[in-house]
Order: sequence, then C-alpha cells, then structure tokens
Amino acid sequence: MQAVRVEARNLQLSYGATPVLRDITLTVEPGEFFAILGPSGSGKSTLLRLIAGFARHQAGELLVGGKDVTGVVPWKRNVGMVFQNYALWPHMTVARNVAFGLEERRLPREEVRRRTEAALQLVGLDGYGGRRPSQLSGGQQQRVALARTLAIEPQVLLLDEPLSNLDARLRLQMREELLALHRRLGVTTIFVTHDQEEAMTICDRIAVMDHGVIQQVGTPIELFDEPANRFVAGFVGSVNLFEGELRASDVFVSPLLGECRLPAGLATRPLGPACLAFRPHAVRVDAAAAPGGDGLGFDGTIAAASFQGETMRYEVRVGGASVIAEQPHRRGGTGWRDGTPVRLQVAADELRLIAA
Amino acid sequence: MILVAVALAIAAFLAVFLAAPVASVFHAAFASGSGGFTLAHFESFLQISLMRESFWNSLSVAALSAVFASLIAVPLAYFTVRFRFRGALLIQTLGVLPLIMPPFVGAVAMQLLFGRSGSVNLLLNDAFGVAIPFMDGLNGVVFVESLHYFPFILLNLVVSLRNIDGAMEESAQNLGASGWRLFRRIIFPLALPGYVAGASLVFVKVFDDLGTPLVLGTTNMLAPQAYLRITSIGIEDPIGYVISVVMVVFSVAALWASARVLKGRDFATLQRGGASLQRRELMPWQQAAASAWVGLVLLLVLSPHLGILLMSLSRVWSFSVLPEGFTLAHYATVFAQSTGMIVNTLVYCGAAALIDVALGAAIAYLILRTRLPGRRLLDLAASSALAVPGVVLAIGYLRAFRGLELPFLQTAFTASALALVMAYAVRRLPYALRSCMAVLAQLHVSLEEAAENLGASKARTVRRIVVPLMAGGILAGFVTSFITAAVELSATIVLSSSASRAPMSYGIYLYMQSIAGRGPGAALGMIAVVIVGLGTYASHWLLERRSAAEARPIA
Amino acid sequence: MHPKWLVAALALGIVSRPVLADTITVVTSFPSELTNAYKAAYEKKYPNDKVEILNKGTSAGIAYVREQPAGSRAEIFWASAPDAFEVLSSAKLLEKVEVPTQGIPDKIGSYPINDPEGLYRGQALAGYGLMWNTRYLQAHKLPAPKEWVDLVKPVYFGHLATSAPSRSGTTHLTFETILQGEGWDKGWNQIMQIAGNCAAVTERSFGVPDGVQNGQYGIGLVIDFFGLAAKASGFPVEFVYPSMTSIVPANIAAVAGSKSAEGAKRFMQYTLSEEGQQLLLDPKISRLPVLPSTYAKAPAGYPNPFSGTIQAKVNFDTALSESRYYVVSSLFDQVITFRHKELQAATKAIQDAEKRLAGRASPQLDEARKLAWTPPLSAEQARDKELLAVFKAKKGDDAALRRKTQIEEEWSSKAKANYARAVELASAAK
Repeated sequence: MQAVRVEARNLQLSYGATPVLRDITLTVEPGEFFAILGPSGSGKSTLLRLIAGFARHQAGELLVGGKDVTGVVPWKRNVGMVFQNYALWPHMTVARNVAFGLEERRLPREEVRRRTEAALQLVGLDGYGGRRPSQLSGGQQQRVALARTLAIEPQVLLLDEPLSNLDARLRLQMREELLALHRRLGVTTIFVTHDQEEAMTICDRIAVMDHGVIQQVGTPIELFDEPANRFVAGFVGSVNLFEGELRASDVFVSPLLGECRLPAGLATRPLGPACLAFRPHAVRVDAAAAPGGDGLGFDGTIAAASFQGETMRYEVRVGGASVIAEQPHRRGGTGWRDGTPVRLQVAADELRLIAA
Repeated sequence: MILVAVALAIAAFLAVFLAAPVASVFHAAFASGSGGFTLAHFESFLQISLMRESFWNSLSVAALSAVFASLIAVPLAYFTVRFRFRGALLIQTLGVLPLIMPPFVGAVAMQLLFGRSGSVNLLLNDAFGVAIPFMDGLNGVVFVESLHYFPFILLNLVVSLRNIDGAMEESAQNLGASGWRLFRRIIFPLALPGYVAGASLVFVKVFDDLGTPLVLGTTNMLAPQAYLRITSIGIEDPIGYVISVVMVVFSVAALWASARVLKGRDFATLQRGGASLQRRELMPWQQAAASAWVGLVLLLVLSPHLGILLMSLSRVWSFSVLPEGFTLAHYATVFAQSTGMIVNTLVYCGAAALIDVALGAAIAYLILRTRLPGRRLLDLAASSALAVPGVVLAIGYLRAFRGLELPFLQTAFTASALALVMAYAVRRLPYALRSCMAVLAQLHVSLEEAAENLGASKARTVRRIVVPLMAGGILAGFVTSFITAAVELSATIVLSSSASRAPMSYGIYLYMQSIAGRGPGAALGMIAVVIVGLGTYASHWLLERRSAAEARPIA
Repeated sequence: MHPKWLVAALALGIVSRPVLADTITVVTSFPSELTNAYKAAYEKKYPNDKVEILNKGTSAGIAYVREQPAGSRAEIFWASAPDAFEVLSSAKLLEKVEVPTQGIPDKIGSYPINDPEGLYRGQALAGYGLMWNTRYLQAHKLPAPKEWVDLVKPVYFGHLATSAPSRSGTTHLTFETILQGEGWDKGWNQIMQIAGNCAAVTERSFGVPDGVQNGQYGIGLVIDFFGLAAKASGFPVEFVYPSMTSIVPANIAAVAGSKSAEGAKRFMQYTLSEEGQQLLLDPKISRLPVLPSTYAKAPAGYPNPFSGTIQAKVNFDTALSESRYYVVSSLFDQVITFRHKELQAATKAIQDAEKRLAGRASPQLDEARKLAWTPPLSAEQARDKELLAVFKAKKGDDAALRRKTQIEEEWSSKAKANYARAVELASAAK
C-alpha cells in the first residue's frame, strides 16, 4: 500500500456558534503511526471525521496525498476508517462485510474473494468468513472491522478509539497487533484516543489537543520531557506543577513553595508569571539532613505513602504545598514512614519552566 | 440533489392527496354562494336540531366507548402486570382478537346475539322476564366500538405499567399506602401516559367511524350525517362540509389534548437494573374470580366472531337463540360472485401499503439522516392525516377532484380504484411512518458511515445497508397498512360505487343491504377476518424471526 | 419477485380494472340478488357488453346522476320510487328510448305503467304492505294485522317499525299512499298513531324488513318483495297487502347524456323482455312482473296484480306526490323521526289513560289525542305555493335555505310542545 502525507492547514470548524476546531495545522508524514490525543470534548474525533469526510470545515485546507479534499464526498476519499463501535453490519456475514468496499469498487468476483481472504488472514481470522458478527467476541469484531478497512488498501488508515471497548488484557494484545500490522503494511495511520499511555506506547508522533486547539505535536519523549504548556505537562504523565512568578533569571517565587533559586540557564522565558514543573520520578527522597545537589532542594514531611508495585509513591508536605515523589521499589524496601522529615532533591535538568 | 427531489415528490404527494382535499372541504364550509367568506353555513348547522343532536351523540358515543373500553381494559392490564396469573397468555390473545374483526361486520352479528330479540335477550326473557337494550340505538354503537377498540388501551397500559420502577411502589408502601389508594395515587398516575395514549386513540377512532353506525342503522351521528348529506342531497350541500370541518376540528382537539396531558411528564422511571412492580400470588378465590372475569371478557370479545361464523353458516336465524339449519351455500355464493372483490382488496390494499412504506421509509430517512430544511414539516404533514376522518378525506376527494378524468381510461378519478388506493395510503401513512422511524432510530449511523467510508454513495448505502436493516420494521408497517386498509369502510363507502371495482369491505356492506344477502355477507366477512388474522400473525412472526436471526446492531 | 416488477404489476392491476368493452352502467337501489341475477343473465346473452352496477339509495342515486357531466353519465336509472323518475325527468336527465313493448299493458288498475312522455318505463310492479315475524307475534301474543288502521291499536305499542320518507323513496310512497287514500288530516292522524306505536323509525327502509326478519321487531311497513323474498327464503315471516294500498311500477329509464345510448337501449329491452321479466319470479327476488304472461310461470299463490287478487283502493296521483315531496318528507322528520321518543311517550300516556278510563269520555283526553296526533301543518297550508317553493329551493339560494330551516324548527318545537302537553293532559285525564 502506498503511504501518503496528510496535511491540515488552518482548519476551522464550528457547529453553529460553537467552535469545535480552531486553526488546526498539522502534518502526518507518510507511513507514520500518528496519534491524536486529548480528553473528551477536545475535538479529536471531529478532526478524524473531518479527514474521513463526515464533517465539513468552514475554513482552511485538508490535503491527502497532496490533493485538497475539501468538499470531496466520503465515498470518494479512499481513507479507511475503523469506527469505535466497529459498525459491522449484522445482516451480512463476516466475509460480506469485509468484501463490501471491494464490491463497491466493482472489482471482478475472483479478485474480491482473493483480497477478502487475504484481509482476514492479515488479522488472523481466516476461516471466519461464514460467521455473523453477532457470533464473534469483541476482539474478533474489531479485527473484522480492521480487515474490512484494510481490504480496500486505503491511502490513510483512521482509527477512532479502537481499543476503548476492549477489556484491559485484550487492549494490550491488540496494541501489539496493531503495531505489528502497521510495521508490515507501512500505511499512514492516524489513531484517536484519550488514553495517553496507549498513545505513547505505540505511536511515532502525537498531537495533543484540548478545546479544539492543538497544544503540542511531538514524539512521545518530546512531549514527556519538554511539555509546551501546563495542559500537556499534566495530560501526558503525572507532574508536579507550581504557579508563581519569575522575578529574576534565577529567582522563582511561588506562594506555595516560597522562593526558589533556579539553576543557571533554566529560565529561557521572559520574566513574569510562570509555572515550575518537575516529574514525580525525578524527585529524590533523602533523609532530612542529606547534602544538596544541583537543582532544587526542599524540606518536607512524608504525608502519605502508597505502594504501586514498581514504585513507591509519596505525598510530601513542603511548606503549604504537596509534592508527589516516586521512588523505585527494591525488594525488601519498606520506604519512608508517614511523618518522617525528609529532604527532596530535583536535578537541574529535570526542572521545567512553562507558561502560566 | 436526489434528496431534495425525493422531499419535493413526497411534499407533492401530500399536497395533492391530503392537503388539497381537506382544504376544499374547509373552503366549501366557509364559502358563500357568491364565493366570499361566510359563517352562514355554520349558523345553519347550529340551528338544525338534527345536527346538534348528531354532534352530542358523536361526542358522547366516543366518550362512552372510551369509558367502557377502559372498564374492560384496565382490570385486565392490572391482572397481567400485577399478578402471577395463569391466564396471562389468554389476555395477550384478548389484545389481538377484537382487532381482526372489522367492527361494522361484527355489528351485524351482535344484533342477532344481543338485539331486542337476540339470543341473549331471549334467554334472559325466558329466565328472568327482562330484556337488556344492549343494541338499541346509540347503545349498540357504544357496545360494538368498546368491544372492538379496548385492545388499544390494554396494550398501551400494559407497557406503561411494566415500565414503572418497583421502588416507586415500595416506597409508597413503606409510607403506609396499599390497595386501592396505592393504585389510585401512585400506580395509575405513573401509568397515565399509556392510558391516555390508548384512550385518546379510542375516542378519535370512534368519533370518526362511519361504518358501524351506518350498518347499525344509527344515523344521528356526525359521520353518517356527513356521508348521507353529501351523497343524498348532493355535493353542493354546505352542511355536509360543515360537519366535516367540525369532525376534523374535534379530532385535532382530542389528539392535541392528549399530547398536552403527556407533555413534560417523563414517566419512564424504570432504572437500569431496577425491578418492575411486585408480582403477587393470587389466593385461590381470587384466581377463580379473575379467571371468571377474563372468561367473561373473552366470551364478549368472541361474540362477534362467533356470531358472524354462525350467520355465515346458517339457513334461518330468526327470533331464536341459535340458527336452525346449517349450510355452506353462502360461501358458495361468495366464491361464485365476489372473488373479484377479494382480488380488488388484495390489489388496492397492497398498492396502498407499498406506497405507505416507501413514503414512510423516505420521510424517516430524511428526518433522521439529513439536515434538509423543512423536513420536520414533512413529518407533521404526513402525521396530520391521523386527524382527518376517513369520511372527510373521501368527501374532500369527491369535491376537489370532481370532474377529473383519468387519461386513457375514460373514468372519473373519483370513481376509480386510484382514488381508493390514495385515500387508503394517505390515512395509513402516519402508522407506517412511526414504524419506519422507530426502526431507523435504532440503527446506529456509524453503520451507514462505514459503508460510505468504504466507497458506497448515499444511494448505494441506503440500498445495501439501510433498507435491509430496516426490513423488519418496513414489513411490519406494510402488513399493518394492508390489514387496516382491508377492513376500513368509512372512505370506502364514499368512494365506491361500482360493485365490480369495489373491495371486500364494500362488498360486505352491499350484501348486508338485503335479507338474502346476510348469509353471503357474513361469509365474506369471515374471509376478511381470516385474511386479517393471517396478516397479523405473519407480521408478528416476521418481527420475531428477524430479531432472532440478527442481533441488534452493535452500538 | 423483483420489487420494480411488483410495483409495475400492481399499477397495471389497478388501472386495468375498468374494462375496455362496451360498458353499461346501471344506477339502481335494488338489492344485489336482483342486480346480480340480471347482470349474469344479460352478460350471458350479450357477451360483448359488460354491466356495471352502482348500488345507491334512491336519493343518492338522483344526486349522483345530477352531478355527473353530460357525455359521461351512467346509462340506466332503475329504482322503485316513481317520484324519483319525475324528479329526474323534470331536470331533463332522462332520454326517450324506443323499446318494443309487446304484451305489457298500459295501466295497472288506473295507474299508468309507463311515463306518458315515454321517458321511463315500468319494469316491475310493487305494492306496499305489512310484514310480520310469526314467532314474535306468537311470543308476544299479538294478532296478525290486516289493514294499516289495525296498527293504531294499543296492543301493538312498541312492536312496530317503519322507516322515514326522507330516507326511503318507498317509505315515502307508502305514507303518501295513506295520505292520498285517507286524506291529509285523517291520513296524518293514522300515520302519527302508527308511528307512536313504533319501536323505531329506522333510517333506512331496509332496516324494517331486516328487523322483522331477525325478530327484532314484530311488524313492519315494507314493500312487498321484501316480505315475499324473506318468506321464500324460509324465514318465519308473513306478508299481507292491506286494501289501502296501491300498486305502482318500479321504473327503468335511460339517462340522457350517457356514454352508450345503444347499450342502454339493449339493457332496457332485455329487462322488459319475457326472459328478463321471468327473472323477477326468483323467490329470492319476488317482484311482480309487468308482463302478465309471465305469471303463468309463477309458483302457486304468487300475488298477481292483474288478476284482481290484490285490492288496491288508492289511485296514486304522482303529480300531487311530487309537488309536496319535500314538504311531506320534512314534516315527517320534524314531528315524527326526530321527536320519536316524545311521540312514543304521548302515545303511551294516551293509551294508558284510555285503559284507565275504560271508555269514559274525557275532554282532556280528546285534547291530548288532538295534540299528539295532528301535524302542525294543515291541509290548506300544505297546498300553499310559496311554502312548496321554499322547500324546492336549490342550493345557493341561501335565503330560501334559511327560511326552510326556520320553518322546520317551528314544526319541530311545536311538535315537542304538543307531545309534552299531551302527556300532561292524558296523565291528568279522569
């Protein structure tokens, strides 16, 4: 299957007076496994439907494979979509479902049969052609939906929260299979989800959306390490975030933390309101009298501890604030007890200053 | 665009075959001899004592029929839902039986069974020396109509009762209510939507019915008066149109009033996982009493069927409890003379039903799947046919299309089968539309989007996905349209003249006009009942089968 | 079956229903036994013709013919009531047809069988009489009646049935016969007493024989063939011609401006031929042929108006009947049909009083009788040309319509008041 680029330029979409997509610009490279990540109401599904042709933007351009598809009807776009509820037709067998797109393209019967079988084999359901959707499990139904879309060899594959209806175990399994399929076929894939763990695990790049606006586009590591704003910082992974003011290039004052001496080179932002952010796993918990290091140090008291299996999670009271710290758990370790005074250390390169 | 063309075609159909006739009726009622606006005809209407009498009679008969139908239906509904009652299946059957016997056919038999010198009164007279005027004048109409229409209340009420969350009842009991008070203050009010829906339907249908009063010879009611005036005095008679307008206004008022009562009361209280009302055990004496009541109702309900069956087989039945001598000659007569009529019914009602489901599916699709401006108007227009009595629509046809000749066929439109088919189709469209809307609403739109995504245009999607998945509902709508058209008499009487082009219902009516024709009329009536019964059964079976074969769309 | 084909087949089915041969449309009020018999026999004899029967009551039939445009009207109008034909002929809706009439006499008694202008022909004869249910009479111990006047007897209270002249041309004829036979005043007196004894005034003429046949009523005023046919079908009924009756023809005529004048002529001729006349003798039909020779083939005991076995004292004056047609109909409706309950109450009260007084004279009772059984329109008033014109007014004449409604309301309320007063007086009579 040929891989194409999908480009959105300044897309605007409103339903009546309510704006849903605001100035969306992004590029999905050919062959990429791209995720659109956001909470419900962020507009991610609308964006996907827009690419498929089920929603109409009022301004901006949408290019698939270099061609502007604004106004092109869904059935002429050749972008394959797998729906959240699979949308398998109950009055047709699995084989007829999968063959549908091929029949619509008026392919000779022999070729239809061949490609249908190939698609079913691709998803591991060969032999299931004669069954009806109602006789299949959730995971199997999802695969049929996938096979149905892949059979037509679309330019772009769109997946609308495909894993959210599956139980946890199946979800993990399907993730692996989707990834394997993508590696094998190389088709440009756009995957919509609200689950950041999912997006981070399998996608090449992610666009984080909120309230119809793209907050940041980047690889999972980029998003995790260099969040562009509060929203991304909080949505992708957990974070300690403190509002305050950058008084000088090395002075940050926060009502909760007090005055913090920042390491040199951190503040690339203009002076004024800002947020200080660092991840829980970047916080080292030492005994109260431990020596400092570069970066920031705080004195605090353990308020609560919870065992997460691989890590121990502490809520530490620092002044008027709560800092979350995560320490890897070693076998036999009991962790710090509630009420113990401790010293928290955050390395300089783990600190981030982002917009307020 | 195709959609716009379809919408316009539907609008044209409704405009020509529904709006224009009704408008011409209204026009005739308000037009003076010189063409201006006048209320003189309404004044005359109010001055003629027969008209005032007919008006009150129609109102009171409709109201009384609703009352008696309630008296039959409410206890039955309560038994079914409340108690572990062994006769539950029987009650379900009771919900269907009356509807397969067209009321005007049953009316004739009821005369023989319940009339002054009918079977029941003869027995009563012998035993107790009394006679009960079941069938005298308006009583007869109320009796026949209640017995025919109570299933509307029964079925709606059962559904409503079953939707009540048991917690409602339990909390009332916890606070001290029980028995009658519990029923009156909690249960019945919560079941009100179902009751009101059924009762208002009964009221409107009885108010509009032409066939039953005519066959019973009671003509001092609005529908028969409209018919008689237009056909005997002439198509220019303004009073006939005034009556028609009054009938439409009251039908609309009744439907609007019931919608008002139900508005804003969201009574679907049953939570997910909640239980319905408690089901209680019956003590033996209660079981016996309930069975007796159900048995009595069953006997009453079956009496028209029994009566028609006996009439169709009897040689002589006069002033006796049962007929003397049985014969198959009446059936022979019917098959010799009237097979044409049976074929006519199949053709006309089939055509009307086809039109109905085609239009109904199209309108449903336009409403639920497009954003065409004015599509709600189409829904309103199609549904407004409910408020137009059959006799009024037919009179409207006579007036609006008077003189119109069909090309090539040298027949007047109003005398042709086409007029009948259109009248049937228009009047049954609301039901077919509801049926199609219900089915389409259950269909998740993603099923269509998936097809479009895979390359099917809207038209192909409709053909390959939407229509097959709606098939169950469409078929059910077809059958319902068919069987209700097959037994309707109001529009049929007005628009039928020639015996050879007439459908079965008119044929039965014609037969009943002579003494020697009673037998064959009853025989033809039995055939009608069989056809309708088979149709009803087929419709249920089709719905069961389809819903078993495929699971609901995964949504 | 492919849906498109189904639709096409149905469409073809609908439009091909009207036939492409020579169609003779017959507007008639006759029941289906008669029309089916004639249709079958005629089509057998003339296979190229098709007969379309339009079954309509007399007044509906007149309205129907009137409303059709010239050139596409029905071919034949065939009904019992002669006044209907008068109405049609004065509206210029009938056409003269040359049909040979060998054997058919000119008169029955002193009544002409055919229209002197030749616009309509007598096709069968009918008389009016009393039909009763033998079991009913037995069960209620009632004597069999012989004359109209018998029916005023108190013993028959609640056991009679009649229809209304406005709804039934033949009932109109029956009562017009009584009026012409007994005179306006005495006639109405009798009619109102009989009506007071009636259990019901049925809205269709058929309601009467139907009710008698199934035992709902004891005795009814009917056309002869209803009673004779019912009896021949094995029902426990009897029929008798009172002497105060007249035999009048049931006529057939060709409608002017029909589609096939030739077809009309053929059909008319057939009904008047020997073969056509013989069809009337079928027991289920039981009509009286106009061709005297037919009676030779009739079963024994079949009534024969030509042999003098039916006494027909009244010489029916059609012109008189036609002139006051609507007045009589309306008067009957206003004082009897719509006031039936009150009339019944008055009658009962008077009968009870008579029983109570056991023959003693009472001026109150006499007054009551007068109030209850005298119409609010005198013989003199009934001849008034203006009044007759108001009732004959056409639609569109709003002023006449309003006057008519006014007069009717006067009669109605006067009658109601009279009956109420009669009840008072009768109850108080000592």
